[in-house]
Amino acid sequence: MALHPDFPLQTERLRLRPFTRGDVDGVFAYRGRDDVARYLFDPPLSRHECALAIQQRASQTGFLEEGDRIVLAVETAANGHLVGEVSLIWRSVEARQGELGWIFHPDHHGRGYATEATNALLDLGFGPADLHRIFARCGAQNEPSWRLMERLGMRREAHFREHALFKGRWDEEFYYAILRDEWLSLRHV
Amino acid sequence: MSSLRLPIETGHLVLRPFERSDLDAVRRYHTLPSVQRYVERPTRYEEDVAAALAIMRSQVELHRPGETLTLAMVRKGDAVLVGHVSLKWSDATAGQGELRFAIDPAHSGKGYLTQALTALVDLAFDHFRIHRLMVRCDGRSHHSIKLMQKLGMRLEAHYREHALFQGEWDEELHFAMLDREWRPTAKVQELPMRARVA
Repeated sequence: MALHPDFPLQTERLRLRPFTRGDVDGVFAYRGRDDVARYLFDPPLSRHECALAIQQRASQTGFLEEGDRIVLAVETAANGHLVGEVSLIWRSVEARQGELGWIFHPDHHGRGYATEATNALLDLGFGPADLHRIFARCGAQNEPSWRLMERLGMRREAHFREHALFKGRWDEEFYYAILRDEWLSLRHV
Repeated sequence: MSSLRLPIETGHLVLRPFERSDLDAVRRYHTLPSVQRYVERPTRYEEDVAAALAIMRSQVELHRPGETLTLAMVRKGDAVLVGHVSLKWSDATAGQGELRFAIDPAHSGKGYLTQALTALVDLAFDHFRIHRLMVRCDGRSHHSIKLMQKLGMRLEAHYREHALFQGEWDEELHFAMLDREWRPTAKVQELPMRARVA
């Protein structure tokens, strides 16, 4: 359903909040890197492109109609350091479907920040946004990404092989998904 | 690519483009709910069948991506139309194609779809140089699932409750096959001799 959450969303160690103009350097620090862009549709971004992306995201903070996205900066609660971003896209209004995404700065990998932030977005999606199913996808070679999906309790629903070209090579892609009932049972263990 | 030679003969069938006179035969199976699900164009009512037939009659070649080739499955001997198979060229750069099929339930279970799809897979990989073929089917359609497995297709996706279909949660399977996974023996055993395209 239409949704305009109050920000920030607070987790144990993190704050999820809309992007602001002051985030350009923080975003460029990871979106400018080759190793981050490797599995993304975009190539590494220039500082200017990061500024444009942030401008666009200023309005991506709620669901009003199908296709809308909520894109949030993830910062540490302790010192306000920008460690990455998470997103939730409203893919189908009728079937209440959402798509989850995330990008984190490699320097902050391995601390469970991505798990913590994406879990908060699942809670937003199945809670206030009243979604029925949330899916995510990644390149099959991107093991940290699908490991995260499995930690979130998502099931592998698809394994596509050579179904498309991605950056000049055959693509291999995983789809993972979690239904509302599955999320509920995870939260009430 | 040389031009396509039709009709195609299999053991028990002739695969040929649709004709105006096929209307009654198409009507018999095309409006059935079990057939509706994965046909390109819904034909819930009889008056939709003529329009669907007109479209299928025009689908006789694949010149550019987005186009579909649709062939009627006609039984040798009595010339009864038992169903149809189609190949959509969905993407040119990545060589992607999608198969669809429908059969009159009165004629299912006799291996006709296996024959027709085998010929169509052959055509897709050899003639049209498709790299990957996919088929979508309803998660509850056991006949289709068995058929896909028989053809040697891999289950690539099993979506649960990803969409609503006629008011119910949908369950959808995707099967796929790459050109190099297609069994060459199937061609030798199932198909008659015909000109090969380089």
